[in-house]
Amino acid sequence: MAVIDTTPPGITNNTQAQECRAAWSLTAPALVLMVAILLLPVMVALVLSFTNYSLGNDGFDWIGTKNYDRLFSRSTYEKMFIATFTYVVTVVPISVGLGLGAALLINSLGRFREIYKTIYFLPVMATLLAMAIAWEFMLHPSIGMINQTLEMGCGTVIEAIWPFMATGCADGFPVWLGDKRYAIWVVCFIGIWQGFGFNMVLYLAGLTGVHRELYHAAEMDGAKSAWERFRLVTWPALGPTTVFVVTISCIRAFQVFDTIEAFWPQGGGPNKSTYVMMFAIFEKGVQQNLIGIGSAITVLFLIFVMFLTLIQRWLVERKVHY
Amino acid sequence: MKLTATAMALALTASAAFAQDKVTVEFAYPYSHLFDVTYEAMMPAFEKAHPDIEIKFRATYESYEDGTNTILRESVSGNLPDVTMQGLNRQQILVDKGIAQSLEPFIEKEADFAKEGYHDAMLSLSTFGDNVHGLPFSVSLPVGYYNMDILAGAGIDKMPTTWDEVIAACETMKASGTKNPIFWGWNITGNWFMQALMWSQDEAIVDNGRVTLDSPEALAALEQMQEIFTKCEMQNLEWKAALASFSAGEIGMMFWSTSALGAVERSQGEFVLKTGPFPGMGETPKGLPAGGNAAMLTSTSDDPKVQEAAWTWLKFITSGEGAAEVAKTTGYMPPNKAANEVILADFYDQNPNKQTAVDQLPLLRDWLAYPGDNGLAITQVIYDGIERIVTGDATDMKELQQEMVEEVADLLPNG
Repeated sequence: MAVIDTTPPGITNNTQAQECRAAWSLTAPALVLMVAILLLPVMVALVLSFTNYSLGNDGFDWIGTKNYDRLFSRSTYEKMFIATFTYVVTVVPISVGLGLGAALLINSLGRFREIYKTIYFLPVMATLLAMAIAWEFMLHPSIGMINQTLEMGCGTVIEAIWPFMATGCADGFPVWLGDKRYAIWVVCFIGIWQGFGFNMVLYLAGLTGVHRELYHAAEMDGAKSAWERFRLVTWPALGPTTVFVVTISCIRAFQVFDTIEAFWPQGGGPNKSTYVMMFAIFEKGVQQNLIGIGSAITVLFLIFVMFLTLIQRWLVERKVHY
Repeated sequence: MKLTATAMALALTASAAFAQDKVTVEFAYPYSHLFDVTYEAMMPAFEKAHPDIEIKFRATYESYEDGTNTILRESVSGNLPDVTMQGLNRQQILVDKGIAQSLEPFIEKEADFAKEGYHDAMLSLSTFGDNVHGLPFSVSLPVGYYNMDILAGAGIDKMPTTWDEVIAACETMKASGTKNPIFWGWNITGNWFMQALMWSQDEAIVDNGRVTLDSPEALAALEQMQEIFTKCEMQNLEWKAALASFSAGEIGMMFWSTSALGAVERSQGEFVLKTGPFPGMGETPKGLPAGGNAAMLTSTSDDPKVQEAAWTWLKFITSGEGAAEVAKTTGYMPPNKAANEVILADFYDQNPNKQTAVDQLPLLRDWLAYPGDNGLAITQVIYDGIERIVTGDATDMKELQQEMVEEVADLLPNG
C-alpha cells in the first residue's frame, strides 16, 4: 500500500473524507427514517414481548420468555396456529391456481378481455371490510340470501342426489358463521374470492413477457397439444411471476383480519376456529391492552413473514433465472 | 364578486365570534343501534336550554368492552373526551386508574340534588369509596321476549317461569315445526348472563376480590346453560343476527336485555310480542345483575367553563326530560325517581312490555367488575368457555369449569 501510493496522503484523504461525508449526509435522511419508522418499532415490540406491560400502567416487569412459553403451551394459541395455517394453506394455492387459470383464459380471448379483467378485479378494489358486512347479510342462517337459495332446491332432484341438501332440508341449513365446522372455510372462501383477481392481473402482466417465437419453436419441436405448450413454455416462463405471486399471496394470507373482525368482533369465531394471528395481535394488544403477549405474537408473525421473504429471495436468485 | 367576498368574511368573523362564546363538550357513548335515537330525541331540548354549550359526539363505541378500552387508550395518548358512557361494571377500573373524576364537588354545589330524582339506591351503582364517580344513565335487566304467535301455534298459553319450563316449551315448539325455538343471549357482553345465573342463586361472581367460578353455583350455572343449549338445540347465532331473526318472527323465545326492546319493536314484523320475567333455576330468581351504563366525567380540561358545561350535560341526560327519553326510545329504565314517577307516570301502563323490567327492580344486584387490570381478558375467558358449550365443543361441565378457573387465576393480580 505504502509503496504503490505515491500521491501526497493529505489530498486523497481529504477528497475521500469529503466524498464520504457527502455520501453519509445524502443518505442520512433515508437512514434516519428507516430506523425511526421501520426498525425502531420492531425493536420496541421485541423488547416489550419480554415484559408484562399493560397499556395505561406506569411500569412493567421483566418476565423473560414467559409470553413465548404461553404461545406454545396454551390451547388458545394452538387454535391460533391451526386457524392461521389452515387459512394460508387453503387460500394461497387456490387463489394462485384460479389467478393463473383466469389469466390464461382471458389471454386466449380475442374480445371482451377488458370486461372480464374488470369483473374479476372488482372484489380486489372493494374494501374487504365493507364486503364482509355484505357477506354477513348473505350468510344469515334464515333470512340470508345463501340459505334461502339453498332452500329453493328442497323437494327437487338435487335433494335426492346430494346428502348435504337432504340434511339441510330436514334440519335447517348450516349456521355458516356460528358453526365451527364451516366458519374457517367461509373465511377461506371469501379470501379466495377477494384475492384471486389480484393474482390474475399479475399473471396477465407475466404472460405479456412470454415471446411468441417460443411457442412456434416448441410447436416445431413437436409440442402439439395445448397442455404440452403450457408445460414446456408458459409455465417455465412464468417462473419469476409465480414466485412473486406465491410470496405476495402468502403474506396477504397471513395478514387476514378484516373479515374476522367484521364477523366475530368478540372471540375470533366459534371455538376460536378462525382466531388468526392478526386478530390475536389485535385482541391481545389493542382490545385487552395486554401489550406484552400482543408483542410476542407480533414478533412471531414478523419471523414468519421474514422467513417467507427469504425463501423468495433464494428462489429468485437460484432457481428461476432464464 | 367583491360583495360576496365581504359577506363571506363577515359571516366568518360572525361564526368565529359565535364559536368563542360556545363551550364544547366532547362526548362518546356505546351501542349506536340502541342510543342514537335517544340522543337525537334529547338534543333539541338541550340546545334550547343551554344554547351556549355545544355537544360534540365522538365515534360511538361498539360495546362496553370497546368503550372501556378506548378510554384507557385515550388516557395514554391524552385525548380523553369530557364525558363518557361506561358499562356499569367497567366503572371500577377507570376510578382505580384515576381517569374518571369524583363528582362530589359538583354535587355539593347543587342545592336540591335529591329532589331532582337522584336517590341513594341508584347512586350506589356508581359510588366507589364513598364518592360518587358516575351518574347512572340507563339500567336494564334480563327479560324474556316471546313471540306469542309461535307460542300459541305450538299450544303454549303460559309464559315459562323456570328454565325447565323453557326447555319443555322448546320441545313443544320443535314438535310443532318451529326450527328455531330459542335464542338465549349468552354472548351479551360476554359475561352478563353468567352473572345472571349466578345471581339467580344468590351467589356473587366476585366476592371479596375472589372470582367464584369454582363454586358449586358456577357449576350449576354452566350445567343449566348446557341443558338449555342442547335440549333446545339452540343455533349459535351472532347476537345481531339473532335479533334480526327474532324481529323477523322466526324465533319463539329470546332471552336478552330489556334494553333492546325499543330496537326490536322498531324493526318488528307481523307478530304479537310480549315480554316476561327472567325465568329462574327451579324457582324465581333471587337476584339479577343490573346492566346499563353510567355517565362519567373524564375531562382533562383546566377550564372551569368546560368542566361546568360537562357537568350540565351529565346532569341533563340523567334527570328529568332527558332521562325520560331513555325509557321512551329504548327498553332501558332511567334510574331516576323523578323521571320514573312523574314524567313517565302513564308511560308504563301504555307500554306493558317495558313494565316487565320495572317489576323486576327489587331483584336488582350489582353487575360485578373483575378485579385487577385484566377485567376485559377475564370476560373473554368466560365468553370463550360458554361458547364452547354452545358449539358442543365442551361436554363435561366439571372439566370446563376447572379450565376456566385456571385461566382466570392466571389473569388475577395475585394469581
